[in-house]
Amino acid sequence: MKYAQLVMGPAGSGKSTYCSVMHNHCLSAGRTLRMVNLDPACEVFNYPAVVDVRDLISVNDVQEDEELILGPNGALVFCMEYLVQNLEWLHDELDEGEDDYFVIDCPGQIELYSHLPVMRQIVDALKSWDFNVCSVFLIDTNFVLEAEKFISGALTALSAMVAIETPAINVLTKMDLLSERNKQLVDEFLETDTRSIVDQDETAWNEKHRKLTRAIAQVLEDYSIVKFVPLNCEDEESIDQLLLTIDTTIQYGEDLEVKDHYPEEVDPEE
Amino acid sequence: MSESGPSSSSTLPPQSSLPTGPNVDQKPSVLVLGMAGSGKTTFVQRLTAFLHARKTPPYVINLDPAVTKVPYPVNVDIRDTVKYKEVMKEFGMGPNGAIMTCLNLMCTRFDKVIELINKRSDDFSVCLLDTPGQIEAFTWSASGSIITDSLASSHPTVVMYIVDSARATNPTTFMSNMLYACSILYRTKLPFIVVFNKSDIVKPTFALKWMQDFERFDEALEDTRSSYMNDLSRSLSLVLDEFYCGLKTVCVSSVTGEGFDDVMTAIAESVEAYKKEYVPMYEKVLADKRQMDEVEKKKREEEDLKGKPVHDLKKPTGDEDDDLDLNTKVDRIHLGGVDEENDEDAELERH
Repeated sequence: MKYAQLVMGPAGSGKSTYCSVMHNHCLSAGRTLRMVNLDPACEVFNYPAVVDVRDLISVNDVQEDEELILGPNGALVFCMEYLVQNLEWLHDELDEGEDDYFVIDCPGQIELYSHLPVMRQIVDALKSWDFNVCSVFLIDTNFVLEAEKFISGALTALSAMVAIETPAINVLTKMDLLSERNKQLVDEFLETDTRSIVDQDETAWNEKHRKLTRAIAQVLEDYSIVKFVPLNCEDEESIDQLLLTIDTTIQYGEDLEVKDHYPEEVDPEE
Repeated sequence: MSESGPSSSSTLPPQSSLPTGPNVDQKPSVLVLGMAGSGKTTFVQRLTAFLHARKTPPYVINLDPAVTKVPYPVNVDIRDTVKYKEVMKEFGMGPNGAIMTCLNLMCTRFDKVIELINKRSDDFSVCLLDTPGQIEAFTWSASGSIITDSLASSHPTVVMYIVDSARATNPTTFMSNMLYACSILYRTKLPFIVVFNKSDIVKPTFALKWMQDFERFDEALEDTRSSYMNDLSRSLSLVLDEFYCGLKTVCVSSVTGEGFDDVMTAIAESVEAYKKEYVPMYEKVLADKRQMDEVEKKKREEEDLKGKPVHDLKKPTGDEDDDLDLNTKVDRIHLGGVDEENDEDAELERH
């Protein structure tokens, strides 16, 4: 069994940062994560990637091509479709061994999940290669600092989850950038049940959508899969907590065998 | 005669920094949102043509910096203000980052756009805003919400969510599309219209049936998916059932032009909804803010009179009530930077 985290989320939600934080954290804990970049439009990232989709195709290549006249979006879709046609390439590049653990940095466009079958195909391929896949959906906490926006975030995560059908962890990123007051607010959202959050305000808008809000809250509660985990990139404990949650979800480490470490033998001839 | 006596409390000129609430009688603005490839631009093009034919021309604003060609006469174009390619080069950004940056830059000048809209409002019937292809560049960005909020706080604003009917035939796609729509509704809190586009390719009657009859959608869902997510999907479709109840839907074809009369009716209805739901909400926030400012002003004035530094907290009695009041308001209104907020909280606690 191999393991993979698919890191998703809107542009600017901190996917690449998440990947590099995870990588560094695991490095210091003596665990090896193999990083994969699947975003053909990405410019820079600061983690060592074992696989980079841009070696196969990048958005720049496509946009510079004179025969294909595509905007940024069309180019991205073209790249992803090209990748899906060349899944064998991905398989070769991944070159996975037993118990390997991958973190895959995915492109952010929601269309790739909900509109087009490409991400679904990639996930299905991973599953067929004996991967335990879990999607990590990142949301910038700054955009969910109101009860309604919090629900909106949950729905966005849900719409991606439904489309690719993997176990999902939703992460609130950039907790370190919040003021104390907003931290408390987020804690409140995370601790109390969703229904009581939304019943607070008595405005005409809430009145009209009360039934809908209740229905959403009901689902969010009944299916605790739509739970949020806060992540503070500067707090090792918070990273550890998140990693543990993800590991549990993809059953990493359940049947891990004890590894013993010997110092590597030094070749006397070298 | 000047009223500069220290006993008078009206020494400061009335603050005019706060807007006086939206002008509800102005012509509405319509924000056209939708996933990439759902046909936003074509929809705007067709609607523009339709309105011109009716001799009620619209005011069109393009907010997509990455579009290569705009097939309709446009009044304000983001591409005149920021050059997408230049931004990419100058800041060394990828396509996504560049779109975000362009929007952010545009955002700093958006008050001017609103001024323009308000000034021209006698000459057009409706103001259309075409948004970037990447939907989350608008819905999950600070600039997107600033643009939406500043429009909504100035005059009636309606959100139109364009759905590609042809792609929505897949129940899973349909569901995740609707969930996304629902999430936009919760973010903007504005009147919401779902437009099923491309009705010339696939008749969106299937979608309307799904929306009316939950059982039918359930059946369609059952056929396509594995048992793993079935349970969740069923619950979700129940949620969406609730969502459809209060939802306005229109079926159009941007190619043949069918259904555009309905679009105009839907907009007119939504403006009414805006007046009923959004305006009171906005006024409440405004009143809260005003009260806060009032308290703040009073505090400052008193301190000025005493010749003390503005943030000295030892004040005469009688102020306690105001501060308690301020305290409860504070956690609802997001004022500014992290540091300001932390300072503010520290101040309140010390008290």
